[in-house]
This record gives sequence, C-alpha cells and structure tokens, in this order.
Amino acid sequence: MPELTTELRKNIEQLLTDQVVDVVIAFKKADAPLRPQPAFFRNLEELEDLEYNGLCQNNLANYLTRYPHDTKIGIVVRGCESRSVNALIVEKQHPRENLYMIGIPCQGILDIRKIIKKTGEDVTGYSEDGDQVSVVYEGKEVNLQRSDLLHDSCLRCAHPNPVNADVLLGEPLPDGDPTIVRLAIEEFEALDRDERYAWFQKEAERCIRCYACREACPMCYCTECFVDHATPRWTESDISQAGTQAWHIIRAFHQAGRCTSCGACERACPMDIKMTYLTDKLNNDMLEVYQFETGMDDNTQPPFASFNLDDKNRFVI
Amino acid sequence: MMYILEKKNVDQTLSEWSAKYEVYTPQKVEAYSQFLPFTESSELALNEPLNTRYPPKSLFLPQSEVMLKYNKRLNKFDEIKILPEKRIIFGIRPCDASAITLLDTVFDTDEYQDPYWTERRENTILVGLGCSEPPSTCFCTTVGYGPFNQDGLDALMTELDDVYVVEILSDKGQKLFSNFPASSKDQEQSVLNIQLKAKDLMEPAFETENLKQTLDQLFESDYWSEIAESCLGCGICTFLCPTCFCFDIVDEVQRNERIRNWDTCMFRIYSQEASGHNPRPTRAERTRQRLMHKYSYWLDHIDKIGCTGCGRCVRHCPVGLDIRAMLRAASNFEREVVNVG
Amino acid sequence: METRPKIALFQCKWCLYSQPDQNWVDNDLPSSMYLVKLPCTGRINPLYILNAAQGGADGIVISGCLPEKCHYKEGNLSALRQHEEFLNFLDYIGYERSRVRFVWLDLQDRGRIQKELADFEAEIAKLGKAKVLATRTNVSPGGQYA
Repeated sequence: MPELTTELRKNIEQLLTDQVVDVVIAFKKADAPLRPQPAFFRNLEELEDLEYNGLCQNNLANYLTRYPHDTKIGIVVRGCESRSVNALIVEKQHPRENLYMIGIPCQGILDIRKIIKKTGEDVTGYSEDGDQVSVVYEGKEVNLQRSDLLHDSCLRCAHPNPVNADVLLGEPLPDGDPTIVRLAIEEFEALDRDERYAWFQKEAERCIRCYACREACPMCYCTECFVDHATPRWTESDISQAGTQAWHIIRAFHQAGRCTSCGACERACPMDIKMTYLTDKLNNDMLEVYQFETGMDDNTQPPFASFNLDDKNRFVI
Repeated sequence: MMYILEKKNVDQTLSEWSAKYEVYTPQKVEAYSQFLPFTESSELALNEPLNTRYPPKSLFLPQSEVMLKYNKRLNKFDEIKILPEKRIIFGIRPCDASAITLLDTVFDTDEYQDPYWTERRENTILVGLGCSEPPSTCFCTTVGYGPFNQDGLDALMTELDDVYVVEILSDKGQKLFSNFPASSKDQEQSVLNIQLKAKDLMEPAFETENLKQTLDQLFESDYWSEIAESCLGCGICTFLCPTCFCFDIVDEVQRNERIRNWDTCMFRIYSQEASGHNPRPTRAERTRQRLMHKYSYWLDHIDKIGCTGCGRCVRHCPVGLDIRAMLRAASNFEREVVNVG
Repeated sequence: METRPKIALFQCKWCLYSQPDQNWVDNDLPSSMYLVKLPCTGRINPLYILNAAQGGADGIVISGCLPEKCHYKEGNLSALRQHEEFLNFLDYIGYERSRVRFVWLDLQDRGRIQKELADFEAEIAKLGKAKVLATRTNVSPGGQYA
C-alpha cells in the first residue's frame, strides 16, 4: 500500500506543520519486515520511517491513555481503533476536541502467524498489492492470497470503516457481515457443556500470565489491575488452573460492552491462546439484550455503566 | 570421543531412558514447541527451525513453585522438599544451556545456595542439540556464545544426515552414551565443518566492545523514553527469556501456601513500594532496567553479558521491539549526543 | 455419609425485612452454608461469585431487594445487568447456570429465605459436586503444576 502510506505521510506532515496536533500516533518501519512498530511522530524529519500496511497489528488507541488530557493527539485509526477511541472518549480518557482521527478504511489485519506458517520464520521482505501479498523467504518470493492471511477477528469484522474520523483516506468499504460472528458463537454454544469447558480449560491453562493481552488492549487502562492487588488478593497469583482461569474470565468480563473485537489481545499473546471467542460472546449479548455496539458514537454509555427501570421486568421472583 | 545416535532410534532410546529417568524433550503444542515429559505418545519437535517458545529454565526454576505449607491455627509450617528425581533434558539448545550456567551464578554461589535449584541441577543431565541453521532472529555469536556452544551441557548432538553425532562433554554424558556406537573419522570431520559453517552464518548484530560504558553513560538520558515509547509493559520478553530469573514470593492465604512465582521488571508493581512510591514509575525506567541488567550489571557481577542471544524477545515482542536494534540505537545515540555536545 | 453441598449466600443486608429471618441467617445457618453480608447486591463484584465457585462452593445464592425497593435506589438494577450477563458468560464456558440462584425478596416474604435455601440445597445435591472451573486446591509437592 505505498500510495496510502504516501497520502498518510502528506496528511501527517500537514497536521504537524499547522500545529494542529502535538504528536501523531502511527506506525513506522522496523528492522524485521513483518513487524512494523507503533511510532510517535513529533517532527517532520522522523516521518520518513512512516509505514502503513496490513501487518500493523497493534491497536493504537492503546497509547491514548498515556497522554495528559491537554495533549493534542493525532491518531491513525482503522475501524476497530476508531471505535476504541470513541469508547475511551465516553469513558473520559481523552477529550474529543484534543483528538484528531485520521481514518483508514481497513481491509483487515494480516496474522503474522499465518504467514510464518505458510513460509517460515525468516521472512526478509514484504509487499502487498490489492489481494496479493508477496513475501521474500530464503531469497525466494512467495505469493500469497491476502484473504488466507487475515486475522481471525478481522474475518468476523462488521465495521471496517472508521467511525467519527476527522478525515478519511481512501474509499469507504462495504460493511462486513454481522452474522459471521454470531454463527461462530452459536457453533461454540452448540457444543455440550463438557466440551465447552474442555476448550476453555485447554486455552486458559497455557497462559503464562505475562499480561500481554491486558497491555495490548486499549480498554485495559486501569492503573491497578485486579490481579495486581495484594490485599485483598482476588485471584491466585500463580499459573495454577484456578489462577489462569480466573484471569481469563474476569479479563474478558471487564470488557463487556467495551470491547471492539479488534483482536489485539490475541495477536499479542505469546502462547497463541484464543481469547476473542470470549469477548465476542459478550459483545453479541450486549447487542442482543441492550442493542449496544461499542464505540459507534462518542456519548452512549455502555450497558453496565447505565441502567434502566425497564429492566425490572427481568427480575424473576 | 564421539558417539552415534541414529535418528530412527531416538524414540526407542528415549523410552529406554525413561525407565530410569524423567526425560524432557521439545514437543509440539499448538504452533510452537515446549519441553514436556516424554511419553510413548509424545510428538517430538527436535528439528524445528526455532527454539522452544517457553524457555527450559522453567525445568529448574518453575514459573510457580510451592515452598511452604502452613497452618495458621496450629502455628506451624512444613517446608516442601523436592524429591530428587533423575532427569534428562534432551535436545536443549546451546543458548538455553549456557543460560542455565549463567543462572548458576545466581542460585548456586558460595554464599547462597537455592536448594530447589541445586537439587534439580545435580540430578539433571543436559543433552544439547546444536543449531546447524540458526534463524536470523538469533544472535548468540554476538554476545559471546555460539550455535554449538558447550557451556553447561553434558553432551552435544550435531545433526548429520540421518544420525546425531554426540560429543561427550562430561562424565554424566559419558555414562549415558557409553553403549552407543562410536563415530567414524569422516563423520567427526563433517561435524566440525557443520559447526564452523553455522557460526559463519551468523553476523554480529551489534557492537559489544564498549556497550557497557555506552549504556552507563546513557543512564540519565532521553534514550530510554524514546525506545520505550511503544513498549506495552507486558512480561513476554522477560518470561520467555532464558536468563531472567526474578521471582516474587507470595502467600496464597486461601490455600495456606507460600509460593514463588516468576516476576518481571517490566511490570509496574515490580518496583512499587508499600508507600505507593514507585522508583521506576514509567516504562522507560523499566526498559532501562531490563537492558542495563543484561548488558551492564551482569558484567559488574561476573564479567559476562547476561544474554545468550536466543532471540525469543525479538521474535515475540507484540510491538516488534528488537533488543538488537535498541542496542545499536544506544551506540548511535551516544555518538549523536557527543557530537552535539 | 453424604456431605451436604457447600453453598455461599451473598445477602444484601436490607433484603430481609423481618428480624427473625435476619437472626436465623446471621446465627443459625447450617455449617455447609457460608454467609457473605453486603450493603447491597450492587456491591457484588462478579469476582466474588467467581471466588466462591473457585473456593469450592457447589451453589451460590444471591439475595436482594426488588426493583424500586433498593435502599440505594438503583443498586439492584446495576447488579441485575452485570450478574445476569456474568452467568450467561459462565454458562458459555461450561459452568452450570443452575448453580447460581437469585432470590429477590419483598416485604411479605417472611420465612422465604429458609425455604429457598432448603430447596436450592436439594437441587444442588441432585447436581452433585461442581466439576467445572478449577478450584483453589493445593498443588502437588515440588510445585509441579499440572
């Protein structure tokens, strides 16, 4: 996507020159071609390193909460990221007027693990053009289909276009099919209880409690996480099953009505643990019960932060 | 002395050993490999291009370990003694084995001996497997080790067509392999060639000569906040690192146990004091601690770099932070500062 | 001898309107039942429910006030939203939803808590010991975590 990167660079250049923003959060090239890094641009010279392609796997909204409220931040957002930003605005983590969202309609993030599985670890070059991705492995060019490499959560994405962006680079894409995620959940629910638990157990027990899922998530910005508490200690601190299961259950549940299904947690996990099947279920429930989707605007409170007397009909006596 | 272990006999050999020893080998878990006890149904992952994802230091310093069981009402406690059990770790890579010798200087010194560590070390035989084709993310030669480094190993295997040629490096290793057929002169020569070739494949990733001085000078500089700006502050780099050894002792009051967990300097609560003050308040100080510990403080203690170049932190950082690039940047940063000054 | 199932009772301190009921809960609860008294059902963090399950409770009862009768106006409304969803979620990963019961009490529900607990205990006894969700059991010596 060299054209998009150029356009993006021009845009950011303008923002920095006009001093509309103090810092722009975007991606830059790294030494390893498969791993562009989040980068923070404050002056024009650095902009040479700017990069944007399907491998930019982090959710940049994650860095928003690190800045004081009076910092004017420019941020490159895709569909999920823009919704995370909106959710953070609702939670008063940064004022909207000090944000400038540069929106990019997202064709989906590529899963590095899927690429490596098809080639091997030592990928030395990468380029993409439309549906085609080509990587250089052991000196040879390997052509791959983009659709085969999309991250699982991007395959289920319903909102690829940024919401509330200040500027949109590129043409908006058609919305995704929301039934895909529902079908995936229904498929899991159709398993019997023991199978569901066995799956959960198998995923949770590989956890090494490095908390990469937490740190990669824009909505996990608590200064003190429930697992960090020493008194009272809420969960086991070790890697026993009780400890890791509690972590996975509560981490996911704290995201109810706040998660945008960006899948950054899953991409960050060093042990390849599946996590989105948990948060997708919660998101789907929020949609079905409360008709709420996270981050579709920047003023609706999530269901658990609000309540309604109409709920009283649901009290079973 | 060198011996031959045929590839087709590996399974049988391991099951013979497992009668007398607990045998650990790299095995496939999902898309990666991890050291697990060998059983008949194990799916071995010896010749993976990459090292195991979870470091084998966990076999000596488990991520979580019970140290005491106590009873508050009776006011007494039982210390947990580990049962000395003979073990073989088969197929450990040289970087991980040398990392264990580095950790010996922490857990087994003249002053202090960690009984859990020493007990396990004494009863374990390490059979290494050298890396004929080191991946580009590895940098063991840069930090003074190599793809066929012998530190800490009792025997070192080199893959040669359909056999492993075993170099014996200690008495323990000699005992284990004495019944195996000896290798021919030709084979020994080819092994030597493979080893040299593997070493040549690896280019130096950064300068180590004045690295310590460079980092020491940068201690107060902005360099750290620059490189740590994108750091998430997760524990991947340290938990997967074979030489990181920090631990945290915790009382699990609900089950009356005192346990020891891995800890990491990348977490905020690592240095958080009870008063609420945190001497390493941001990710910059924490990243500084991680890098300085490996490339400066270890040198103060034992005059060796505390990194064996296994490349796990490079491969698995979720934001693509590369320790090699960070150290190169450190050297350049200093030059810039000096030039401007 | 069959042991009685372990039951954790999370009780909003305002929900038992009659003093004898409260006295019974405070003093005469069977030894297999554990009381956690809270100012309001809205104070119950889903973590408490998880903690009870992981601590070995075979069943969990949450008793609170009816909507519009909350001492703090709307605590039970927020509790309802969260706990309902939390149970849906636990059910999704395999925990039996029937192991948790809500008891919403009104002014005229004198003596109902005893009946509810007895009924719930019988139901849990039928279900047997909870198997889903790892409990905080001790780990084998030497720290070999399975």
